[in-house]
Amino acid sequence: MTAPVLDIRDLSVSYDTDRGLLRALRNINIPISPGRIVGIVGESGCGKSTLISAIIRLLAPNAQIDGGSILFKENDLLALDPEAMRALRGVEISMVFQDPMTSLNPVMTIGRQMTDIQYRDNRSKAEKLARATRLLERVGIADPAEQLNRYPHHLSGGMRQRVAIAMALMTEPALLIADEPTTALDATLEVQIIHRLQQLQRDFGCAILFISHHLGVIAELCDEVVVMYAGEIVESGATRDVFLTPRHPYTRKLLECDPARIEKATRNLPVIAGKLPDLVDLPDGCVFRTRCDVSIELCASERPPLEGGDHCTACHVTGQ
Amino acid sequence: MSELLKVSDLRVRYPVAGGMASVLDRNRRSHVDVVHGVSLNIERGETLAIVGESGSGKTTLAMALCGLAPVLGGEVRFDGMALSKNKDGYLQPDRRRIALMLQDPVGSLSPRMTVRKLLGEPFRIYPELSDDPDRSALEVLSMVGLSADFADRYPHQLSGGQARRVGLARALAQKPDLLIADEPTAGLDVSIQGEVLNLLSDLQQELGLGIMIITHNLNVVRHVAEQMAIMYLGRFLEQGLSELVFQRPRHPYTAALLAANPSTNPDAVPKRIDLTGEVPSLLQRPNGCEFHTRCPRVQAECRERFPDRESINGKQAWNCFHALP
Repeated sequence: MTAPVLDIRDLSVSYDTDRGLLRALRNINIPISPGRIVGIVGESGCGKSTLISAIIRLLAPNAQIDGGSILFKENDLLALDPEAMRALRGVEISMVFQDPMTSLNPVMTIGRQMTDIQYRDNRSKAEKLARATRLLERVGIADPAEQLNRYPHHLSGGMRQRVAIAMALMTEPALLIADEPTTALDATLEVQIIHRLQQLQRDFGCAILFISHHLGVIAELCDEVVVMYAGEIVESGATRDVFLTPRHPYTRKLLECDPARIEKATRNLPVIAGKLPDLVDLPDGCVFRTRCDVSIELCASERPPLEGGDHCTACHVTGQ
Repeated sequence: MSELLKVSDLRVRYPVAGGMASVLDRNRRSHVDVVHGVSLNIERGETLAIVGESGSGKTTLAMALCGLAPVLGGEVRFDGMALSKNKDGYLQPDRRRIALMLQDPVGSLSPRMTVRKLLGEPFRIYPELSDDPDRSALEVLSMVGLSADFADRYPHQLSGGQARRVGLARALAQKPDLLIADEPTAGLDVSIQGEVLNLLSDLQQELGLGIMIITHNLNVVRHVAEQMAIMYLGRFLEQGLSELVFQRPRHPYTAALLAANPSTNPDAVPKRIDLTGEVPSLLQRPNGCEFHTRCPRVQAECRERFPDRESINGKQAWNCFHALP
């Protein structure tokens, strides 16, 4: 296997809060190989956003790295000076945000925004515009030259998100991070964006880290999936393996809860009883124990390691 | 069952400022029709789901019904009485009887009030509802499954799911007959989504509420709503019993939406209906059927006039010249 483009190793991050240290991420390992699409699923509060912020080094001021490293092309991002990090952001590592209406500037034309972000390049304005036009064409926007003169509010939601993707891909990054990019769109536009991302991934060869809590979107788009719960990885592997033969009790419950999987209409949807553990005062043993149906004595005392080669699980009971 | 809300041909139009030119020349002033002739019925104890992408006018429809957006035309009857409009065109419903659960759960709660105070407010505004606002606030809090510990928290100390429950508790505090829930589960995880929806269903059975739920999650609609309406650029292209619509969609847009719904089975071979073209802007509403720019079944007449309503015994209705068989 080729060396991963991004290799998160044993990363732990915590926040300094009034109540004490909130341990948002604990011992996270995620390798992303070049050209792979890796999905991260998990409920709110599981640490998805902290993870992204750690990668692009935009953590809140009260955050601290407790350990681990984030290797990007074999350099540790956590050790880079701010200048070097700034040179990577938006060039080698790009990002597409959830809401394109707030990530695009409402008072500037699309063309102005798309040339502005090329400020690092020593090219003429005409060349920059030509490049912007080409990119818009690549993301499937009709009449790209015409669109450059328009403002974000002139475009539909699906178009705005494709403009955001075009801007992220402008520098042909090695890694694209997409944070719930389809949440604001209807199902027809959602699949359109998914297919466009797959196509662009093949053309540009970049790796994609795709965050979502829409299980169907992850199943359709991603090669690999990482399931997170309360700041830890509980299961990871090829999308097919994880969705068809989920091992961790949390993954199983998450899939059972998905209304799309329930054939017969019901007014009584399944839920995962209990609540997330307090990350300031972590319980001993397995983090999912209090909500788990199959827990044994060992789960209360010892934290299960993430094991299993290509399809890893952190569970004492189902992991064997 | 008895009729609770009847909306006929409701229209909402917003003016659009066209820059300096429109200030100088009044004739250049333009407008957008955000809700373009919508009719619906909700009975007591029944749920209607409105499905459509962002910008299709779902939220504006909800706001208009609550008297928060000006109405250009159409009639709204609530519990048998036609709602009057004020001079600016806003409907004047009895705001106690129609409750609105807003989309952004944390943003819709005042950050400077504790949960206790937030939930006590409806009782202070409508003193006839309770003799003891504090006690009643705790009652509605337990109704949505939150313990009294939450009463002294501020909104920023709540998770998304908890904030939604507080939003729901506040809507229910005023003992409404109709609850309008704008994306009650957007941004929630599947397990918490189930909790919020089950809670809505339980309370509906208990209180006989009519519910209008706005969503773009089709998987949810199938489970919680008897009736559904598909909204596109301010119009309902298809509406009727959810069961029938899911089983046999007639409008090509509905069919494409249902087919597009991504499945969690990675081996599923989806039968997608490819839509080409972009969603048109409301500023340049297409002639004829609004969907013709993306429709796979488009013919010449679709570009000329909007198709008439067709229906089967009032149980499912659609507007399309070339509906699916």
